[in-house]
This record gives sequence, C-alpha cells and structure tokens, in this order.
Amino acid sequence: MYNLFFQKYNEKVPLSDEEQEQIKKYLTPKKLRKKQYLLQEGDVCKVIAFVENGALREYAVENGKEHIIQFALEGWTISDLFSFFTGEPATYHIDALEDTELVLITKDAHEELLKTQPKYETYMRLLITNAYIALQRRLTSNISLPIEERYINFTEKYPDIVQRVPQHMIASYMGLTPETLSRIRKKLANRK
Amino acid sequence: MRKSKATILSANLEAIDCSVEASWEADIIIVAVPFEAEKDVARKIQEVANQKIVISISNPLNSTYDGLVTAPDTSAAEELQKLLPNAKVVKAFNTTFAADFSSPLIDGKQVDAFIAGNDESALQTAAELVSTVGFNPLVAGDLTVSRTLENMQLLLIQLNMKYNYNWLAGWKILH
Repeated sequence: MYNLFFQKYNEKVPLSDEEQEQIKKYLTPKKLRKKQYLLQEGDVCKVIAFVENGALREYAVENGKEHIIQFALEGWTISDLFSFFTGEPATYHIDALEDTELVLITKDAHEELLKTQPKYETYMRLLITNAYIALQRRLTSNISLPIEERYINFTEKYPDIVQRVPQHMIASYMGLTPETLSRIRKKLANRK
Repeated sequence: MRKSKATILSANLEAIDCSVEASWEADIIIVAVPFEAEKDVARKIQEVANQKIVISISNPLNSTYDGLVTAPDTSAAEELQKLLPNAKVVKAFNTTFAADFSSPLIDGKQVDAFIAGNDESALQTAAELVSTVGFNPLVAGDLTVSRTLENMQLLLIQLNMKYNYNWLAGWKILH
C-alpha cells in the first residue's frame, strides 16, 4: 500500500524503520476509480497525492475547453499547490485516467509532520524544488523550442504517458489541437 | 472530497460488499455493524482507515436491552478508536432510530443528533453529514462523551418499549 511511496522517499531522504512507521501513521490510503475526481475547481485542495498505482491528470477548464497542465503516473505527486498552501479555492480539477491507488498527505498531517519529523521537511523541500525546476524547464521549452522538437522531447522523456494517455490529452497538455498533433506525428513518422 | 450539501445529496451511492475495498475508496467510513462485530471489521479495515473519519453508530446493548455490555469507564466508540488508533473516530447517529432517517421531523420538531469526537475537523465534517441527512447536529464533546450518548439511546429504547413510540422517537434539547 505504501511500497512505492517509501521507495521514492528513501531515494531522496533515507529513513529508519522507526521513522517510516512514524510517518506512516499520518498517511491516508485512497482508491479512485477511472474518471473519479480527486479535486474539483472551487473546492479547497486539502491533500498532496502520491501515485502508488494508476494515472491522473490535472487540468483547467476555460470556456468549456480543457487545458491539461500535468499528468501523474506511478511514483509522481500531484496537487493544486496554490490552493493547498493558501487555503484558497482550487483553480484546477484532478481526476483519474485509470483506476488509481494513492497515498494522500492531508494539510493537517503535513503540518504535523513538519513539526515532528525533520526528515519530512527535507523530503518536502526536495519535492517542491524538483517541481519548480520541472515547471521552469517546461516554460523554457514552450517558449524556445519548435513544436516538433517539444513533442520529440516529450515522447523521449515520458514514454509511459505516450503509451497510456489518449493523444487528444497529450495535445491539450502541449497546447495544440488534436489535428495539429496528428500532423506533427505524421511528419515525424515520414522522416524515419 | 466535496462536502457541500448539494454534492452529498447528488452523490452516486453504491453498496460494495467488501469492507476493505469500500473503506479504501471512502473518505468517510460508517461502521454500520452491531457492537460485537466491530472488532472483526476494524481488524480488516485498520490499514485502509488510516487518518480517515470513522463513524461509530453502534450501541453496545446487552441481550435483554436493560444495560450496556461495555464497562462504565469506556464506550463502543472509544473501543473502536483503540482498534483504529490512526483513524478519527466520531460518535454519531447512535441516538436516532432507523425510522427517524425518513422522518427527521417528529411532532414538527427537527430531531437532534449528537456527535462526539476528538478531532475538530472530523467533528465539523460529521456535523455537515448529520445536517445533510436532515437532523440537527449537536457537538456534545470529546469521544468520552460517547458513554453518555450510548446510555441515552439505551434509555430511549427502554422508553420506546414501555410507551410504544413505534420506533419513531428522538431527542430534542429545548432551550
């Protein structure tokens, strides 16, 4: 239930068995079925979710159109951090693309762990630093690389997403229409 | 996750014949089994109930309905909390009869539903749930107050049998 969570945790910050047991007390196991929401726009985001198994997406809806900002597969974390940290209503939806098993850290558990577990603070700092770096890289890529190159980078970096997520969602994530993505894929296939 | 009245009322409900799977999916777990069966259910769901709100609705009545089987210094809810140490056990819905759920207004008055627990946010969530069902939520105190609440239902059952309320009766604090 917490295997991958603690595997990834230990890769960042090694824990003793006792520390692991202490942290486990504060974790909430949660199962979502495909298409079920973890978060809906307008609600306050009260959890940081770690994916043990399955897949989710985070997206905004504008004029009825979905804009995907993040996918999360096994070993990844997902949340609306703005809402989580400020207590303001969330601006994103998060739902399950497959039947999914999560490990949730609630806001209350997060605050308590920060107070009582110094290694949790280190883990969170690394997690948020990595999320910031990934966001910065994505922004740089979006404003500086040609679209074909962005797509190639994406497929090389996230082959699992390409396999498991429908093309129209990948197009949404890249800010393209499905037709444009289809043309790019055809063009790249012809090059081979 | 959503707790607004409209959302709870419009939620899709599904019975799942597996306490572990159902509790794993749930945000709030209602242990709707007799007191004697709680130990077995708690053992099964202990891991998936971690940090979740678990509502204890049971009344630990003896077989002749003239007393409780729990010792005076504990309650069914406190015993459940010992079995699920990392869950947020809340006592609720134990001072109401089943028929009250379809008629939460008796003699024109909204029936009170008493709540007890140690976690503030869990009490708040339970109060919203009680209100959505149609009762007037009253937070009575911490989990030790469950002892009183379970005795209140013992008395209500005894009064029902004595005066034949037809299992449609409830508590109301007038003030």
